[in-house]
Amino acid sequence: MYKWFLAWRYLHTKLIALFGVASVTLCVAMVLVVLSVMGGFLDTVRSRSKGLHSQIVLDSGFLQGFPYYAEFGELVEEELPEVVKLTSPAIYSYGIFRVPATSYTKPARILGVRLDEYLQLNEMRKGLHYERYYPGTTHLGMQQMPVAGFDANGDMQLAQDLREANKKWRQDEKDVDSIANFDAEPFELSMYPKVVPTNVGSRAFALGPEEPGYIGREKHGVIVGCDLLNSRRSDGNFDRHLARGTDVAITLLPLTSRGNVTGEPPVRVPLRYADDSRTGIFEIDSMSVYVDFDFVQHKLGMDAQDLVDGGKSDARANQLLVGIHDGVDLDEAAAQIRELWAGFVETKLMDVSPTDRYPLTEVSVMTWEDMQRPLIAAVEKEKILVTFLFALISIVAIVLLGCIFFMIVEKKTRDIGIMKAIGASSRGVAGLFVAYAGAVGVTGSILGLFIGSLFVWNINDIQDFLANLNPQLRVWSPEIYSFDTIPEVVKKADAIWVAAIAVVSSIVGSLIPATLAGRVWPVQALRYE
Amino acid sequence: MSNVILKARSVHKTYTMGKAEVRVLRGASLEAQAGEFLVVTGASGSGKSTLLHILGGLDIPDQGAVEFEGHDVFAQSQMARNTYRNRQVGFVFQFYHLLPELNVLENILMPKLVSHSALSWLTGRGQAKLEAMDLLDRVGLRERAGHRPNELSGGERQRVALARALINRPALLLADEPTGNLDEKKGADILDLLSEFNEAGQTIVMVTHDARVAARAHRRIELVGGAIQSKRDGSPSVADSDSQPTHALS
Repeated sequence: MYKWFLAWRYLHTKLIALFGVASVTLCVAMVLVVLSVMGGFLDTVRSRSKGLHSQIVLDSGFLQGFPYYAEFGELVEEELPEVVKLTSPAIYSYGIFRVPATSYTKPARILGVRLDEYLQLNEMRKGLHYERYYPGTTHLGMQQMPVAGFDANGDMQLAQDLREANKKWRQDEKDVDSIANFDAEPFELSMYPKVVPTNVGSRAFALGPEEPGYIGREKHGVIVGCDLLNSRRSDGNFDRHLARGTDVAITLLPLTSRGNVTGEPPVRVPLRYADDSRTGIFEIDSMSVYVDFDFVQHKLGMDAQDLVDGGKSDARANQLLVGIHDGVDLDEAAAQIRELWAGFVETKLMDVSPTDRYPLTEVSVMTWEDMQRPLIAAVEKEKILVTFLFALISIVAIVLLGCIFFMIVEKKTRDIGIMKAIGASSRGVAGLFVAYAGAVGVTGSILGLFIGSLFVWNINDIQDFLANLNPQLRVWSPEIYSFDTIPEVVKKADAIWVAAIAVVSSIVGSLIPATLAGRVWPVQALRYE
Repeated sequence: MSNVILKARSVHKTYTMGKAEVRVLRGASLEAQAGEFLVVTGASGSGKSTLLHILGGLDIPDQGAVEFEGHDVFAQSQMARNTYRNRQVGFVFQFYHLLPELNVLENILMPKLVSHSALSWLTGRGQAKLEAMDLLDRVGLRERAGHRPNELSGGERQRVALARALINRPALLLADEPTGNLDEKKGADILDLLSEFNEAGQTIVMVTHDARVAARAHRRIELVGGAIQSKRDGSPSVADSDSQPTHALS
């Protein structure tokens, strides 16, 4: 009993113990922050990656794409109805995004998708801005520019369909704050150009006197990555500079089936800005432009082309996205589709043109995890490395703790003699110092967990505060770390592990001094002054 | 009938100090009767404290034996010697040796804490505290129970040390110059207390170099050159005091 009693008493009466507690606290807080941020980073990569495309993807890895995607899509839906819920083709290419009114240009990754299907295959819908507040109004088909007008009271109004959509959102939205925020931010309506009242003068956008509606030539819609077009505010939201429906354009470089540039001049495709998308991954949100699959397939010359011999070439896509039913094992489903694809390719290789053969044989069937594995593995390694580095620093704390305990044992030599004189065993005295170190470890760990957790939970606020003092102190750059905010979740398991290791380390650090304390010869100790 | 509680036979002890060997004890022998107040006198450096440490199992003799109630202390295991120091022996030192982080009551309870597990302490602490307070009453420090050692005078500290030595009701109290660090008045108070406990049946072996202090004992023996000064027949000398124990152990 005396071990615990004295350990506790020493803990809160000896100033030197506070240095030990402080070193454990700092180490625990430091490792917890690193683990939480890196772990959160990894989890975010995982969860965002999962919702990016579809659960299973067939991809040749070639920009010119591969043929028979539609045929295989039908086949897989027929053959594996219990497994496959939906298939949808996709095209990716690279081009130049341009806003004609401002001559703003950016390199862009063009994604041709069938939006209705695409939104069923992944979580893109969650990140669509206008689709959230005006559900059902975002599409990639032909569209005009929506404009706002004024009612009899002079209040700004949108076209009937947009009004209805917004009303529906208000009915369905469970988050009251979200509605309040929407109403509080007039920028939403300001994103719609206004029909200027007749008594004011210019009626540049007016369809008729003060009537809301749509204007301009019909063009295909485009969804633009939010970082490509908008400015990010420090609070994580965006300032939108372009009105919905604004004219934009992409310039494409069509390739032949062999991957050569067609020889035609680059194709300029005028589009209308229909919405913006936010996946939360900077590389995607700063590069991606989503266009209708069939439209962009045609523009890239990847649709079925007339051949000189009178026949038709096979249409190509870069990917076939496959959604599977809930509860189906992902790897098992991928294996089944892989097997089906192998058989399918076998039959096609006989009659496919030599130019199409190579991309066809290169198609691989991947789960979303396979696709993101390089990124996830890199982040995992980064997490291990950083944790290891900080754990290495923590070893310094263990050594420091060992030194502190050497000093404590030295200072307590006479007390050790007294304890032995009243019957304490060598093992008991050693145990006293081990218990003391354990108490230092437990106290330091609890404080460290508290401080570390507090830091992680408020890490973005802390960064904003520091950035307000000096912009150079903004250490989290979304351009580097993909995500716009620092992960701020502390996992219980991480906290328990860190605390447990800290307590064990504290005890390990005290073992040598504790052993020496146990060996103190009481007669000498009692003479010690 | 002989009622020997403690017997030391031909105890030798040599310390090595650097390259030199110092023979501190050279065959010291003594016996203490139950309830006796025995004083060992001798000049500084004569080995009194060493003898006391060996009698209490704190130090190990190079040769010879110490028997307590007929059992050889050094033939026992280390654990048994720890228990011997905790249960059978109480030490009082010249420099009090109280634990500075603990208050008076906690210092007195420390031998109890050593002998209790955490679980047994939960059930036994009430009784232990009562016993400690009773001892504090007897040494006249009840009001000082919550004070730290640095808030006490030397005499008060020594009384606390005495209470601590007696908390486990040991059969043997070993006192090493208990008045050596006190003025005459306070020293006399401590001696009064020792006499009081002795009269209640406590066996006491005290070492001192002060003849006036020694005069309070039943019997005095002298350590000279590491051995008990012998009479012609070779048996340990008896004290020059005429007083003998008149009571049995309680």
